[in-house]
Amino acid sequence: MEPKSEVLPGTLDLLVLKTLESMGPQHGYGIARRIEQISENLLSMNQGTLYPALLRLTQKGWISAEWGLSDNKRRARFYTITPAGREQLAAETQNWERMSAMMARLLFGTE
Amino acid sequence: MPMLRQFASRISALFKTRRLENDLDDEVRAHIELLTEENVRHGMPATVARYAALREFGGVDQAKEVYREQRGLPMVETLMQDIRYGLRMLAKSPGFTAIAVLTLALGIGANTAIFTLTYAVILRSLPVPSPGQLVRYTFRNGAQDIGLSGPAYDALRKQETVLTGLLAWSDAELAVEENGAVTRVNGAMLTGNGFRVLELRPFLGRFFGAADDVSGGGPNGYQALLGYNYWKDHFQGSPNIVGRPLTINGRSVTVIGVLPAGFEGLIAGERADIVLPLAFEEVINAPHPNRNHAGSFWLTVMGRLKATESVGTAEANLHATETAVRETADPRHIYLSGFFAPFHFGVESGRAGRSYMKVIYAQPLLVLAILVGLLLLLCCANTALLVLARLSSRSREFAVRSALGAPRRRLFRQVLSEVGLLAACGLGGGVYLGWVAALAMVAMLPAVGERPPIDVAPRAAILAFTAAISVLSALAAGLWPAWRASRVAPMLGLKQGDALSPSKRLGSWIVPAQVAVSVTLLAAATLLGGTFVRLLLEDSGFRSDGLVLADVDLRANKLTDAQATQTAQQLVEALENIPGVEAATAMTLPPLENAWSAGHYFSLGERGTVHSDMQTWGESISPGYFRAMGTRIVEGREPARGDVGGDRVCVLGSSAAAYFFPGVDPVGRFIYAGGGDPSKDGNSTVKQEDTWRVIGVAEDARFRSLRESPPRMLYQLARPGDLTTQFSLAVRSKSTASSAAAIREAFQRVAPTAVEPRIYTFNELVRAHLRTERMLMSLSLCFAAIALLLTGLGLYGLLARSVVLRTKEIGLRLALGASPRDALAQVIGQGLRLVLVGIGLGILGALGLTRLARGLLFRVQATDPLVLAIVVVALLGVALLACYLPARRAMRVDMMTALRYE
Repeated sequence: MEPKSEVLPGTLDLLVLKTLESMGPQHGYGIARRIEQISENLLSMNQGTLYPALLRLTQKGWISAEWGLSDNKRRARFYTITPAGREQLAAETQNWERMSAMMARLLFGTE
Repeated sequence: MPMLRQFASRISALFKTRRLENDLDDEVRAHIELLTEENVRHGMPATVARYAALREFGGVDQAKEVYREQRGLPMVETLMQDIRYGLRMLAKSPGFTAIAVLTLALGIGANTAIFTLTYAVILRSLPVPSPGQLVRYTFRNGAQDIGLSGPAYDALRKQETVLTGLLAWSDAELAVEENGAVTRVNGAMLTGNGFRVLELRPFLGRFFGAADDVSGGGPNGYQALLGYNYWKDHFQGSPNIVGRPLTINGRSVTVIGVLPAGFEGLIAGERADIVLPLAFEEVINAPHPNRNHAGSFWLTVMGRLKATESVGTAEANLHATETAVRETADPRHIYLSGFFAPFHFGVESGRAGRSYMKVIYAQPLLVLAILVGLLLLLCCANTALLVLARLSSRSREFAVRSALGAPRRRLFRQVLSEVGLLAACGLGGGVYLGWVAALAMVAMLPAVGERPPIDVAPRAAILAFTAAISVLSALAAGLWPAWRASRVAPMLGLKQGDALSPSKRLGSWIVPAQVAVSVTLLAAATLLGGTFVRLLLEDSGFRSDGLVLADVDLRANKLTDAQATQTAQQLVEALENIPGVEAATAMTLPPLENAWSAGHYFSLGERGTVHSDMQTWGESISPGYFRAMGTRIVEGREPARGDVGGDRVCVLGSSAAAYFFPGVDPVGRFIYAGGGDPSKDGNSTVKQEDTWRVIGVAEDARFRSLRESPPRMLYQLARPGDLTTQFSLAVRSKSTASSAAAIREAFQRVAPTAVEPRIYTFNELVRAHLRTERMLMSLSLCFAAIALLLTGLGLYGLLARSVVLRTKEIGLRLALGASPRDALAQVIGQGLRLVLVGIGLGILGALGLTRLARGLLFRVQATDPLVLAIVVVALLGVALLACYLPARRAMRVDMMTALRYE
């Protein structure tokens, strides 16, 4: 089994926003599951750390939250990405692309 | 935006903690249940599945804690915790709390009081729109800031190009007739453009304008505005006041409106109750109006800058036109180039209006501000010592908390918030004490018969200042103890029980600093007290026993000067006929009013030498003057009733005699007026009426001020016309009560219709004359007493603690053969070392302060051995007492108990 990597600081917000954009409204458990699946279980994440991140995004107005019923008929909080969140995601994505391109140039010298 | 939203959301979270907490619980529980179910689906047994889920989730409580910190404002939440905890701790030791709060309240209150005065006298803006645009035109010679003359105002108004308008204002004492009685009312006069320049709106009715500010007051006669408070007090705020007639100085005047509330005039501390057009001056000063007189400097002149202009451009404009202004205002070059040559025109900010008090009180207030600043420092130092002593008995608590994992900054914050609570209580006390003290100070300020000149009602600016110094005090008193508390080593505290003793390093600088501050305050009190006593003991040239004066104002009776002089003579005769009256006199100006009278006189010497002086004080008197005032005749004789009709005669003061007649006997020689009023002085021949024969010489009298050397006095026996409608009376009898009664009786008999005169004893006059000195003395004595008390308490607390800590050591020494006296000497020596260092530092501080306050002192200085002796003895006395009590305890240490101590 390959060693798992830590979530890079600052990328959790991006992961959450992207997940909500592509999956539609999700509860916290669903988001955590999705991130694990996408990363093919290579990302090590205490699922508990997801909640402060969700709260932070809610406070900033990038996602909204409301109570609903989950698949198994439990009370759960569903998070939805807001228009401001989509803008933020676009900006962050661009940022990320620039950053990773730069890192790639730096590390592998590709022009 | 997201930042702001986030902050708002955090704030709102503070108020619904419980609900949010439940939501969090639900959400986390749901997550874990979902995880567990999934694990079960993958084939795990139920219990194992749950543990695996919890593992996957990570620490539930850690996650929640991070979540909570993200959710609310942890700073505020822990602060509230600290405050609740602090309140409990303070309530547990009420004695400590009371002393600390009282100490801080004293320091904060003293600063608030001084700031209140400074604000009222110097800082407060006029209550008009955009007061920053106002400028004031001055005519000054250094600190001497006299007003402008009427012609100078007119010329300036024509020349300036930078203002939306230029107004002139003058205070005026009015004689208002109400139900047959005439009362004095403080009023003012303002040019017709004034309210437009000030951009005020009337509270009621309308303002007068340029058309109303003409001789006679326009077609409907003179019109008047009432001050808001005067209207409320005298006319019960009646809206029917508009159109009502008033009789002012014998002239009927119509009330046309009420000034806006809060606007009391353009001069700080001088409340104008009635405002009239400037032209009304012709009525008030009839028959000698000042309006067009080039030599009367009586107007406060202010303007409002156009939006594009500044004080700088106004100054430039003034300097460009000053020659033209002087030329127009004084075409004969008598005043602006003669007497007042050293005076210059200037422009300054008019934001706060004009303040006579600023000139008088700026320096005393600066000195007081330094003194109260030092006092506050002392209060903070004492509180710091108290808090440390208190913490040292709580060091176990801190050690335990630290051992249980409280971070240092948390302990630091805990102590700081406890001191903050003390300061908050001190703030409350300080606002109250400051207000009371300011009222007491203001009560010391008014001159004879005037009302307190300063409004000290609490205001936002003052409260803001008080709050700011409270925060500073909390930091000053709390930072050091907080730092010490946060450094408690957990082990040390658990083991020993006293890891926070302030005795060692801290005491070695706080106590000397306290002593130094006390020495400075004490020296200031001694110097200011010495000044007051010296001034009081100064031989003024007057004898105060049974002497009463009265200021008479007959302007409303429409008398000529000759008639006024006659009334004065009738009053004096009536007084002399009243049984018990030893002497009575009338005179131009009463002494000690800080008034200024200067005339031009000369004498001719043996070989035609001319002794000429422009600073001679000419005082018109009636024959009883010298007996009434108690000024001794040292040569020749005093004037007699028989001299009144004949040639003009005078008595010279010693200084004047020595100046005009050096080396010769002045009696029988002549002195001449060198054109007492230069505008009348056309030719060089001296007229009969300007010649006086000297019949006597009197001792010098400090007529103008007790501080200044006596002016050259020329006492002229009054002839008809020499006295005007305003003069003073002086009466000497067995007691001041009978003198005052005699004045009232004479007035009833001779001038029953006149405004009631202002009657005061000579001692009241001296007291009012020395009011600033007295205030400075009382306050600095108060400050010094508080400082001594605080220093004594600080030293006592420190040594007492040190003796307790060293009980074992002392016991050991005693066991090894030291005598109790040695123990005593050791403790006292320890204390005195600190005190002596402080005294040395304090004397340096006192010397510095003396330099700053030089202008306030009179024949005392800090290097005076007597002053130093008083300071050192007082301080050592307090220090010895503070040392002796703990030392006695040291002496009585029982060696066996001490050695068994642990």
